[in-house]
Amino acid sequence: MADRPNISWPNGARVALWVAPNVEHYEYLPPRDARRNPWPRSPHPDVQGYSHRDYGNRVGFWRMLEVLDQHDVRCTASTNLAVFEHYPDIGKSMADRGWEIMSHGIYNTRYLSSMSDQDEREFYQDCIDTLHRHTGQKLRGMLGPAVSNNLRTPDLMAEAGLTYHADWLHDDQPVPIRVDGGRLVSVPYSIELNDVPVFLHHHDTSDFVEIVKAQFDTLYEEGAGSGRVMALALHPYLMGMPHRIDGLDEMLDYVLGHELVWQATASEIADHFIEHHYEDFVDHAVSLQEVNDAR
Amino acid sequence: MPADRSPGMDHSHYSYSPLPSRNALKWPNEKPLAVGALVLLEHYEWDPPQDAYSLRNASGGLIKLPAPDYVQLTHREYGHRVGIFRLLDTLERYKIPVTVAVDALTALHYPWLMKHLGERNCEIVGHGISASRLITSKMDRGTEAEVIANALDMLEQATGVRPIGWFSPEGVESARTPELLAAAGIQYVCDWPNDEQPYTMTTPNGNLTSLPLFLEIDDEFALWNRRASLASWENMIVSAAHRLHSDGRRSARHMMFTLRPWLTGQPFRIRALDRALAQVMSLEGVWPVHGSELIAAFNNTDS
Repeated sequence: MADRPNISWPNGARVALWVAPNVEHYEYLPPRDARRNPWPRSPHPDVQGYSHRDYGNRVGFWRMLEVLDQHDVRCTASTNLAVFEHYPDIGKSMADRGWEIMSHGIYNTRYLSSMSDQDEREFYQDCIDTLHRHTGQKLRGMLGPAVSNNLRTPDLMAEAGLTYHADWLHDDQPVPIRVDGGRLVSVPYSIELNDVPVFLHHHDTSDFVEIVKAQFDTLYEEGAGSGRVMALALHPYLMGMPHRIDGLDEMLDYVLGHELVWQATASEIADHFIEHHYEDFVDHAVSLQEVNDAR
Repeated sequence: MPADRSPGMDHSHYSYSPLPSRNALKWPNEKPLAVGALVLLEHYEWDPPQDAYSLRNASGGLIKLPAPDYVQLTHREYGHRVGIFRLLDTLERYKIPVTVAVDALTALHYPWLMKHLGERNCEIVGHGISASRLITSKMDRGTEAEVIANALDMLEQATGVRPIGWFSPEGVESARTPELLAAAGIQYVCDWPNDEQPYTMTTPNGNLTSLPLFLEIDDEFALWNRRASLASWENMIVSAAHRLHSDGRRSARHMMFTLRPWLTGQPFRIRALDRALAQVMSLEGVWPVHGSELIAAFNNTDS
C-alpha cells in the first residue's frame, strides 16, 4: 500500500462505497457435501437455522428495502441466483431498482470447494443465464456461494467472462488477480463490516454502527491520498430485524453524509479501476517482483 | 443433484409470503402488538437411552464433562426447582399470560409443578419426551408418531387437558413432523422462527398454524449462544417491541418471548427481564396473549 500508484475515483471521491445485501436461499434439505455441512446443529432438516434465514426473505428484506430506498442506495446484491426463481417478488424488487446483481452462487448450501472444472464451468453458465433470463443483466462478478471457492476459481471466472471477484479480503483497494486468460480484479468485500460475524457474537446494533463509522473515518482520511474501497455487507435476516433496522439508517446517514463518497456498484468500481489504474498496478506488481528476484 | 428451482419454498409445509403483499392483519380491538411468553420446561436425563439424539453442544454447564455431567444437568434443573417460580412471578406482574412447553419427562417427574402451573392459569403445549431425546429424521415415521402421541398423552394425564400447541424439543424437527403433528390433533406449532405474524402451514393431514417465535431475543440464543450482555438483551427487547408496535399499526405483529427458567430465572438475569417488560408493557395497545388465543385470533381474521 505504501508505495503504490495512486487511485483517483470519479469527482475526487476519497472512498468508493459499495453496499452488498446478501439475498440468499439456504436449502431445507441440501445435498451432502463431504467437506462442509451447512446445518451442523442437528440431522437435516434444521428448521431453526432454516427459518432464521427464511425470515429474511419473508420479512427482513422488505424492511431493509424501505431504508435503502430512503437513502437511494444503489446496491450490489450478492444473490443466490435461485432467489430469482423461488422468490420472483424479491427478484423483481431488486431488478426494478436497477441494483447490480452479483452472483453469490445458486444456493448458499452448494459450494465450489469440491467442484470439478467442468462442473464449475457449467455453474458459471447457469449463473450467467439465470441472471440474464430474469433481469437482462450481464453477470459481472461473484462472491462465492457462502464464500466458497477453490484454486481454479479465478481462472474459470475469467474464462466465463466475469470481471471481478469479491472473495479477496486482503486489501482496501482493487487488486489485479493473475489468471490464465483475460482480466480479473478483486473488489474488496468485508467480513468485518458484515452483520454475520458482528452478530454471531455478543455485539449489538450500536457496536456495528460504531464499527462502520470508525472504518469509514479512517478510510476517508486515507482516501485523501489515494482512493479507498469500503464494502458494507448486510443480510436481511439479521439487519432487517426490528431491533437492528435503525442502525442501518444511522450508518447510511453518516457515511452518505460525507461529500467525497462515491456510492458505486462493485462493477463500476472494477471498471473504473481497470480503465484507469489496472496497468499501473500490474507494472507496480512486476517491479516488486523484480526487486524480489534481484535479491 | 439438480434442485427444483420452481417458484416458492423448497418444501411443501407452507407457501412463500412476503409480508408487504399480505392483507393487513388486525388483532381484536385494533391492537398493534400481541405479546406472550413461551416458557420451556426441558428435562435432561442423567442416563438417556443409547439411541437417543441430543444436541452436541447443549447449553448449560461449564465445559463439556464426561457423563453424567453434574454441572450441566443441575444447572438446567435449577429451572424446575427455583427459576420457574421467579419467572412466573415476573411475567404475572406484567399480566403476561404464560404458555409453557412441557416435555413428557417433566410431566412425569414433577407432578406438583404440573398442578401448580394449572393453578396459575398457564397454557401447556407439547414439547416431546425430553431434551435428551430429540425428534429428528433419524427416527422412523412410526416411532415419531408414537413419541408425539406419548408426549400429548402424558400432558393430558398430568393436567386433564390435551394440548393444541407444540414446540419440538430444542426446536428440532424431522421433515415429517408437521404432518404428524396435524394427524395428532395439534393446531399450532412454534418450531419455525421465520416471521412476525402467524401463518398457515399445510400438511396431508390438514392445516396447522405456525406461531413463529422471536429467535434473536430467545434467552438461550441471545444470552447463552451469542453471549450478549444483559443490558444489550434488554435493549434488544425494548427496541424490537417499539418497532413492531409501530409497524403493527399497518399490519399487526406478535412478539413471543422464549424463556428458560434455568437461564432467565437466575436472580441476576430476572432483573433485566423485569426492566424490559416494564418498558414493553407500557406501550399503548399491547395485547397480552396465550399461544392459543393468538392463534384463534389469527384464524378468525385470516381471510
